[in-house]
Amino acid sequence: MKRVAWIAVALLAMGAVALAANPVKITFWTHEDPNRTPLEEEYIRRFEALYPQVKIERVTYPSAKIAEVLLTAFAAGQGPDMFNLEINDAYPYLVMGRVAPLRPEWVGYPNVDTILGAYLEGTLDPVYRDGQLYGLPLELTIWSVFVNKKYFREVGLDPDTDYPRTWEQMMEVSEKLVIREGEIIKRRGFDFRYPYYLEELLPMVEQLGGAFLSEDGQTAIINDEAWLQVLRYLQQWGPLGKNLGSPTYKAARSLFNFDRNEVTMCSSGFYQIARIRNDNPAFYESGEWMVIPYPVFENAVRDMAAHYYGHYYMVNAQSSRETQEWTWRFIAYMLSNPEEYLTKAGLIQPRKDLLASDVYAAQPFGDVFAADMARSSMVQLHVANPEFKQLLDDAVKAVMLQGVTPEDALATLRRRANEVLAEYK
Amino acid sequence: MRGREGAKGRSVAATVGVWLVLGIMLVYVLGPLVFMVTASLMPASEVTRIPYRWIPNTFYWQNFWQAIRGNDGRFYFVRNMVNSLFVATAITLTTVVLSTVTGYGLAKFTFRGRKAIMLLIVATMMIPFQVIMIPLYIITTNMGMQNSYAGLIVPFLVNAFGVFLMRQHLLTFPDEILDAARIDGASEVQILWRVVFPSSWPAIATLAVLTFRTQWDNLMWPLLIAQSREMQTIPLYITLFAEEKFTDEGAMMATAVLASLPMVVLFLGLSRYFVGGARLFSAQKG
Amino acid sequence: MLSCEGDELRKNAHTRGICERRGRWGWAFVLPSLVFFGLFSIYPVLNALYLSFFQKHLLSTAPPKFIGLGNYVYLFHSPAFWNSLRATAIFTGGAFSLLVGLSLILAVFITSRRKFQRFLQLAFFSPAVVSTVVAAAIWLLIFDPRGIANQLVNTIAGTPGVDHNWLAAPAMLQLSTILVYVWKYVGYFTIIFITGIGSIPRSLFEAARVDGASVWQTFWKITFPLLKPTTLLVSVMAMIQCLRTFSTQYFFSQAGSPRAPIDVITLNVYYTAIRNFQIGRASALSLILFAIMLLLSWLQFRLARSEEVSYL
Repeated sequence: MKRVAWIAVALLAMGAVALAANPVKITFWTHEDPNRTPLEEEYIRRFEALYPQVKIERVTYPSAKIAEVLLTAFAAGQGPDMFNLEINDAYPYLVMGRVAPLRPEWVGYPNVDTILGAYLEGTLDPVYRDGQLYGLPLELTIWSVFVNKKYFREVGLDPDTDYPRTWEQMMEVSEKLVIREGEIIKRRGFDFRYPYYLEELLPMVEQLGGAFLSEDGQTAIINDEAWLQVLRYLQQWGPLGKNLGSPTYKAARSLFNFDRNEVTMCSSGFYQIARIRNDNPAFYESGEWMVIPYPVFENAVRDMAAHYYGHYYMVNAQSSRETQEWTWRFIAYMLSNPEEYLTKAGLIQPRKDLLASDVYAAQPFGDVFAADMARSSMVQLHVANPEFKQLLDDAVKAVMLQGVTPEDALATLRRRANEVLAEYK
Repeated sequence: MRGREGAKGRSVAATVGVWLVLGIMLVYVLGPLVFMVTASLMPASEVTRIPYRWIPNTFYWQNFWQAIRGNDGRFYFVRNMVNSLFVATAITLTTVVLSTVTGYGLAKFTFRGRKAIMLLIVATMMIPFQVIMIPLYIITTNMGMQNSYAGLIVPFLVNAFGVFLMRQHLLTFPDEILDAARIDGASEVQILWRVVFPSSWPAIATLAVLTFRTQWDNLMWPLLIAQSREMQTIPLYITLFAEEKFTDEGAMMATAVLASLPMVVLFLGLSRYFVGGARLFSAQKG
Repeated sequence: MLSCEGDELRKNAHTRGICERRGRWGWAFVLPSLVFFGLFSIYPVLNALYLSFFQKHLLSTAPPKFIGLGNYVYLFHSPAFWNSLRATAIFTGGAFSLLVGLSLILAVFITSRRKFQRFLQLAFFSPAVVSTVVAAAIWLLIFDPRGIANQLVNTIAGTPGVDHNWLAAPAMLQLSTILVYVWKYVGYFTIIFITGIGSIPRSLFEAARVDGASVWQTFWKITFPLLKPTTLLVSVMAMIQCLRTFSTQYFFSQAGSPRAPIDVITLNVYYTAIRNFQIGRASALSLILFAIMLLLSWLQFRLARSEEVSYL
């Protein structure tokens, strides 16, 4: 691992000699992440020391706002030289030709295929287009299920054997775990991660053989039975059904760490472990929590975990050729420390060497996440995914909160999704 | 005798009624703020307790220290507070001056196109920010004002609401006073400066408070234009702070409490004009 | 003295000269702001108007495609657009009437008190000191199923354990957004009304008191008629504010509420531009909102003018 990093640095240094020593200024916009900031600031310091003609300005934005800021800046032709966005939000930049491809030699590889080979299969698909790569992953997350074991035992369940493996069991177990005062839930069993429908909800449909888009990408909403089963499940889950949870309660993953008898299970990624350690060291040490795989339906036709949630570093196609080259070199320089990203920021770069390393193996529940990654895939990308996400949100809330029948909600979803598709034809 | 008692009874009933309405409204308006202040004194674990403890068990002052220190310990709070104060004050000053001048021009002068200008200005009040965001961004960045105080201030030098407010206020300004000043040989600029401004304090104080408040809360524009943390303003600080600490409502509320202090001070300082100003105005007229 | 209005202008050359000279001063006073508005408001709006006739992806560098009235036609056929109009009408209707009514009542009540005037003003204005982000966070905690709103209503109504679905059920959700908005702005308009009441000459109130007029009579005979310019200002302002509402709906929809019941036009504009990247359509949508505001303000000015005194 170390060796790879050194080789990369050596290659970078050699490449640098070829470049004229013109001053280069790189603007780098990213979302706020308190664990990553000190790490990357250190890389910037070192990179600037290596190449004194390069100046890097790193700007952080609230993650809820960065998509807007970037859009405005790019629409005005004033985008930063490099940025990262959640892949569904970043994909339109790629399709619209706003980001620049890398040359393998800039990032220390002989050709694109060797880069593809260095990463977990399929994880570079979203940024691979016409034989070129337009991004490198900063992080790739998979959401599995975090469990508070105490509450399982409290209701007479053995967490190690009775943990839910199917969505049906998830509902049964949650019914046992839930504590209410009248209609108001004081403790939830499990609850979903509501706005993240493409990553968490779509795989449920896909487990049943459904899909959002047909394989040719021309039609939306495939296999009504699969969709209806999932929508009925959510309707049962919500306040109009068995009242086990709802999007209007505080996000389960925010409450999980505090261990305050408010939530038993939540879905979250590897980084949640670092957050438990920060928020509640006593709970972290107690060993009263664990991570279990993403459940599947009993009648599933495909074994699927949640879809990947990924952030990729990308480079502005409007930056000068020279700036593009230096920016890619800088990105590669930062990303050549995957172990530090893992241990200090809780971010997994989907590199084969990292996942096979001892460092990764030593991470708690690293095996559970790795196993879920192995049965996961990338969301089918479409330039309209940000809009599709919104349509799914409308459909889920219609059945869970507004009393709309699953059939009607599905009909609306299909109509609107196909309208959007028609606009891009 | 009876009639007077009846009137007295009515007036007692009226007082009770008035206070009942005021009381209900006070609970509605102050309740959430009391919640904010009490929550700022609690560790996060107590903020979401049921039932809510309106009086915290212990005062958790660490929240305030954390709010000022920031999660990274770089004390951007102080710098961002200074930025917010500077930007909001500058905009308030220019808005007050330009609005009074323009409002005076529209209220007390007759000239061709006056009504059209008035309509145009009222119309600009209705423009949703989302519509002009991108063109505004392009103009401002083309002027080289990104990440600078100029970029934060210039697009808000004056606003249509201010002009409208000052015009409505000055419509009721007695013409005799202006004419008297003209007969005394005062120039138009002198009249504006020596007569109109001093007599308009209540309206100016109102406009100042409302403008300052709007700017103090401006999030979207500083977010777009102020890229470095050194140039950012308080709403952005709160947003970033809240995001890093999205589970720690206590510390977030402490930040919110601190961030509202300048508004409280300003309002306390100017509030006497709103009612007290009435006398000033009628004295001028008399 | 010279009013420089209408007929007087034509009377003689001398008067005309004075009026023209004075008119130039009017222009001079108006010009700086006019230049500013031209650059920072009117130009961007014209830009939006231009864009509304084109189909353009926000991120595309290709020249926009002219589609004439295509965006408008699309909108008038889109159920989501009509839903937005409905949501905007419900919100504006509710929030506007509450804001204007409550702030007038509060202003009259506050100025009628001999004591606590400043305290009351400060109290009602105080929500304004809290930034929008924080206000949303506070109210989301209050409306949480386990929050204070349910606790309060259930204590008063004696219905323990009922979830009133403040953030979930469509009608409740609309009510919640109105409650937050009125909370935030009622003090704002109260102050404008208080300033207005303050500029009514004291002598009139004193005369009324000497004549033995009741509080009620004083209000209808003196305060309300003389407050007309202020009422017009407040109602135009409040209506525009309500139509422009964005952040409350935005934060609620981000926090788990269904979007449709509170998908006001501005929120729809936001999603159309930022999520769907349809900048031409978003421009068309916001110009429709602009037109609605113009129309409603014009109506209000008309109504005000039809009564004896002219305020414009």
